[in-house]
Amino acid sequence: MIEKNFEGVSVRWVIALKGEAEEIIKNYAMKRVATRPFPVYKNKDIDMWLILSGIGQLNAVAATTYLHVKSDASYNTIWINFGIGGSRNFKVGELIQIDKITSSDFQDNYYPSPSAFKNNNIERCNLITVNKPEKLFENDGVYDMEGYGFFSFAKKIAPYELVSVLKIISDIPGTDLSKIDKHRVEILVSKQIQFIEKVLENLLALQKILILQLRDPKYFDEICLQKKFTFSQKVTLRKYLTQWQARFPLRNPFDEISQKMTASQILKKFSDNLLR
Amino acid sequence: MVDTIYVEDEIIGTKKAQEIISKFRHAKVTSIKRFGEVFNPSNQNFRIQKTNPALILAKKQKGFVLDAPKGFGIGDQNNYYFSHMYNCLYDCSYCFLQGMYNSANYLVFVNFHDYQNEIEKTIRRHKEKKMTFFTGYDCDSLAMEPITNFINDFIPFFSLYKKALFEIRTKSINNTVFRKHDPLANCIVAYSLMPEALAQILDKKAPSVSARIKNMKYLANKGWRIGLRFDPLIYCNNWKDQYAELFANIFKEIKEENIHSVSFGSLRFPKSFFNKLLQYYPNSEELSFLRSNDKGIISYDPSIENEMNEYCRSELMKYSDARKFFSCG
Repeated sequence: MIEKNFEGVSVRWVIALKGEAEEIIKNYAMKRVATRPFPVYKNKDIDMWLILSGIGQLNAVAATTYLHVKSDASYNTIWINFGIGGSRNFKVGELIQIDKITSSDFQDNYYPSPSAFKNNNIERCNLITVNKPEKLFENDGVYDMEGYGFFSFAKKIAPYELVSVLKIISDIPGTDLSKIDKHRVEILVSKQIQFIEKVLENLLALQKILILQLRDPKYFDEICLQKKFTFSQKVTLRKYLTQWQARFPLRNPFDEISQKMTASQILKKFSDNLLR
Repeated sequence: MVDTIYVEDEIIGTKKAQEIISKFRHAKVTSIKRFGEVFNPSNQNFRIQKTNPALILAKKQKGFVLDAPKGFGIGDQNNYYFSHMYNCLYDCSYCFLQGMYNSANYLVFVNFHDYQNEIEKTIRRHKEKKMTFFTGYDCDSLAMEPITNFINDFIPFFSLYKKALFEIRTKSINNTVFRKHDPLANCIVAYSLMPEALAQILDKKAPSVSARIKNMKYLANKGWRIGLRFDPLIYCNNWKDQYAELFANIFKEIKEENIHSVSFGSLRFPKSFFNKLLQYYPNSEELSFLRSNDKGIISYDPSIENEMNEYCRSELMKYSDARKFFSCG
């Protein structure tokens, strides 16, 4: 389960239909917080949100954009597109982690990072996003209707390594699409929920690495409150305080500063101290 | 080791690509149009990717042989470098590759013949001049030898061009390929070295310095010429004693006559590379001594840099002819 104490956990699910989302909503105890333009769900303790995008690439992009703004998602947020798909290569019910994303409409392909696949033993395959339900399955891979649109936007707002597409196979050649109802989809998802959790755990481990990288050094905010630093001075201050922390872990940089010092004098003081 | 291989459609059927793929029986192979689709996207995180790097097999299209930076060399008039691979098996904290590339995936260009053709043309164009071809700057060629067979292909090639020096820069102790071939007078096996205590902190996943020295001794005894590369020189507490001890340990094991050249240069980065590194290693004491100079390069204060260069030079002169010394800076 998710380590609630770790500061920075941030997860967003983009799922087309309620039937596909039901088990995720239940498993992560999310409650509805909005209905329009898209239904949005949220966990009350951790920064986890879910949006029901509706079918198709346009909806997927619009919903991802909407959730990004609505939930004030930071750069280091995990974004997962989850849903059902069809394939001639797998059995109904199998969970697939997507490693290549193509579209019937666009030339560019996308490649979710292998860091996200590490140690989870979940089947991997390419995704072909199409605009209407696929019946023929002429090519190898998993067919869906949202993945490409989702990824093309999500990769702009989060690092590649934290963006993932997961599909459960719901139809294979010969499947009667009219028989894939909400209840049946919920059953398929419930059988795979422990593996979905595993994928998320792996992504959370990667997120932790990123958060530690992006964290401001100690005393940065406090010192910025003391004096007015320009943007470029803040960049330098951040650098010096990082170096200070590594070099003098037991010395408080605050002790080096007096009230009368200007921002430039503070920077000079740190620079001189760090020289040797 | 590698569980994902991306292969450009254009080269997937080549012998070299198939040879490499066959070494990773459990890896998932995914076809790509061009390596840039995977390697170049900007929103990637090098450190996260380093947790599980993929292998990318591609065809180099141009820029096979490049001029070495001005002032860089080990005595010859013309200096070139070439890179059949980007990124490294090792994970050294100060490595500039993590500042240079968006991706930590191993990118191997499999069209070795195109490199050889271009090197051949370069040699012919400047046949009056002495020249050196450096490899192992954007990767560690020797460390990846079991996978690429790069050195195995290039030793016979350079044996045809005795006037051209071929430098293999490495930290690897893999010596299989050097046992397979007779020593080549125009090939330098150049070892990157630093004091053991520093290497234990900074040269992650690389062989220990003592193992590197042992391997240099082995290769020297076999007749291979050795290069010593103290690049980067790292400033830290007690650095004089540490470097003095390192030099003594090396020359205790290796005869001076087996040393082709010695070069050193202190730690330095372009500003943008350094900013990434500091983000990746906020607790690195070694990075805390570096400063921005007026040329946009991050380096030690000139007083530190000069002191280190002079000290190391004078210490090394106890063991080796100063005519073999070169600067990397």
